[in-house]
Amino acid sequence: MEGFLTTVEMTFLGLAGGFALGILSALGDVYGTKLMKVVIAGYVEFFRGSPLIVQLLFFYFSIPALTGLNWDAFTAGAVTLMLNSGAYQKGYFKGAIEAVFKDQLMAAKSLGMTFRQTLRYVVLPQALRIVIPPWTNEYISLGLSTSALIVLGIRELTNISKSIAAQTFRPLEVYLFASAIYFIWITVSMKIFDWIYEKVKIPGLEVNI
Amino acid sequence: MGEVVLACEGLKKRYGGLWVLKGIDFEIEKGQTKVIIGPSGSGKSTFLRLMGLLEPPTEGKIYFEGKDVYGSGLDLNMIRAKIGFVFQEPSLFRHLTALGNVKLGPKVVLKMKDDEAERKALEALKTVRLEEWSHHYPAQLSGGQQQRVGIARALAMDPDIILFDEPTASLDIELTWEVIDVMKDLARRGVTMLVVTHELGFAKEVADEILFMDDGRIIESGPPEELLKNPKTPRAREFLRRLIGGV
Amino acid sequence: MFTLENFLFLLQGVPNTLAISFLSFALGFALGIPTAIVKQFSPYGLGYVADAYISIMRGIPVLVIMLLFHFGMAGIIPMFKSAFLSATFALGLRSGAFQSQIFRGAINSVGRQQMMAATSLGMNRWQAFRYVILPQAFIVALPGLGSEIALLIKDSSYAFVLGVLELTKYSDIVRKATRSFLYPYLIAAILYILITFPVANYLDRLGSRLKTKYGLR
Ligand SMILES: Nc1ncnc2c1ncn2[C@@H]1O[C@H](COP(=O)(O)OP(=O)(O)OP(=O)(O)O)[C@@H](O)[C@H]1O
Ligand SMILES: [Mg+2]
Repeated sequence: MEGFLTTVEMTFLGLAGGFALGILSALGDVYGTKLMKVVIAGYVEFFRGSPLIVQLLFFYFSIPALTGLNWDAFTAGAVTLMLNSGAYQKGYFKGAIEAVFKDQLMAAKSLGMTFRQTLRYVVLPQALRIVIPPWTNEYISLGLSTSALIVLGIRELTNISKSIAAQTFRPLEVYLFASAIYFIWITVSMKIFDWIYEKVKIPGLEVNI
Repeated sequence: MGEVVLACEGLKKRYGGLWVLKGIDFEIEKGQTKVIIGPSGSGKSTFLRLMGLLEPPTEGKIYFEGKDVYGSGLDLNMIRAKIGFVFQEPSLFRHLTALGNVKLGPKVVLKMKDDEAERKALEALKTVRLEEWSHHYPAQLSGGQQQRVGIARALAMDPDIILFDEPTASLDIELTWEVIDVMKDLARRGVTMLVVTHELGFAKEVADEILFMDDGRIIESGPPEELLKNPKTPRAREFLRRLIGGV
Repeated sequence: MFTLENFLFLLQGVPNTLAISFLSFALGFALGIPTAIVKQFSPYGLGYVADAYISIMRGIPVLVIMLLFHFGMAGIIPMFKSAFLSATFALGLRSGAFQSQIFRGAINSVGRQQMMAATSLGMNRWQAFRYVILPQAFIVALPGLGSEIALLIKDSSYAFVLGVLELTKYSDIVRKATRSFLYPYLIAAILYILITFPVANYLDRLGSRLKTKYGLR
């Protein structure tokens, strides 16, 4: 059970960090300089093109080697999840910003809004709403990929199940039970997200996520 | 006179709570061309889809060559194969060339051998004057050409009747002519045709009868000269006045 | 130090990574099309079975399925004594669910009018599906299938946890042997990118090209 809590905790850490990184890099990609765009493209390609497991191992081992900094598996895992999720979330945000951007920017300009005001009051509120469905998918896929944290020895649900399976010699029951927990968790969360989406769909209301 | 190819009796159709067809009696004989006109929403397309066995009626009977289509356990697909259908919307199979489109029915439904189906298809494409376009994909053809391939696709099945649902409604005027010319040819060659169209020139030249539909019923019918010049019902008079005046 | 020799050693993991990915893709394809068809026609009310299969595969980590197969079911199904086959079947099973979703979307995008045109020629539902709907759906599905292959190549790395000697496992071996903490994983990551990118990109471009050619959306 404590394993499940770690799983959920990691998912939310990854999502939250990825959310910030995703928005920033989406904005950077749409409005930034050439150099920023190249850096962001490289960032996204690295994290979307390679497996999460390899990324986890890479960061966990290379950062101490490079900087002399010692970090524990939990921090390494959380940071990697954030970076990974940010790369995916960037795509959703960019799509959403562009979708809103095209029709709305002119209208905002004609009202005499500054760039920041336009972003704050026009682009983002709409973009955030558009982004909820893909964001639900990201939540699911990130939630499930936290099982990769097993390679750093983090005691999340999959890892704990593996230990219990080894101790009890009842792997079939243990893994079926773990599957059920994951399944219920994901299904319930999906229902909640759908519900939120229905709520905020009302036009004209600002969304806070 | 000739034998009746397609007929219906007391035909009704309901979508949800809406009666779209409210009782239609109709028949067409071998070699005849009949034209249906009527305002938008009067149920013309629905009537044609029912006669083409693409949807079942809510009430009433449909007869194909004297046999009650839904009443006697017939294989509907075998009858559909004998009733050609040309749609208003582009409905060529987009992954197949013109030839592929025309060939598919004879091959898959009539179980012809490949070369036999191909011969049949080329002949049909020739009838619609498109033999040199046979290797083009629908996306590479104009709207008029696409509709003519659609006609060839129906022809290649050797149908006993072809139903046309406003085949030129979404075409530019010049493209309309090329399609209408082909259809006139067919009518003159004795192909049995039931056509929804507002091309009155076509109706005048080749139709044996015009049917005026309004609100789910055929409220007036007669030979073209008569119905077009002296419509008896006020609805038909009003409709024709607008149709001709509007052009 | 990380040497050329280490690099060549690491490359030996690539064949297994490719084998897992492509075999599981093939398995997923073989499962995905029938599942999409079952969902489409729901013969004998079997649509529910397809739904259940899809949502279960969507709700459980593929790693847990691998562990379940390899450690939990090897006694029942001898094939799962092999870590390689457990990983491949777990990925393939999940991919079947994902691919069926891709095909479903593609089938729906082909549209009613095409079905009606096929019916008007006297085709039965199966013929219409086989000769008219499916070929077009397949083209529409290509980009989605490309992403699915890329996903499988990346997720084949979960087989590392079962000890399969694939790319990630090899990079881990190299890291332990050389005590080089930076390069083995970095190079593995780059290799993964080099493998996934061309496949996904090719199918994506092929898809758009064919869609333009055939006027599909
Ligand atoms: N599949 C359907 N489901 C529900 N309503 C339908 C359906 N098909 C047609 N209708 C309704 O039936 C009525 C008649 O439609 P139909 O297409 O037969 O008219 P029409 O005479 O062909 O018109 P038009 O000239 O615009 O093509 C319309 O009110 C339409 O909305
Ligand atoms: Mg109509």
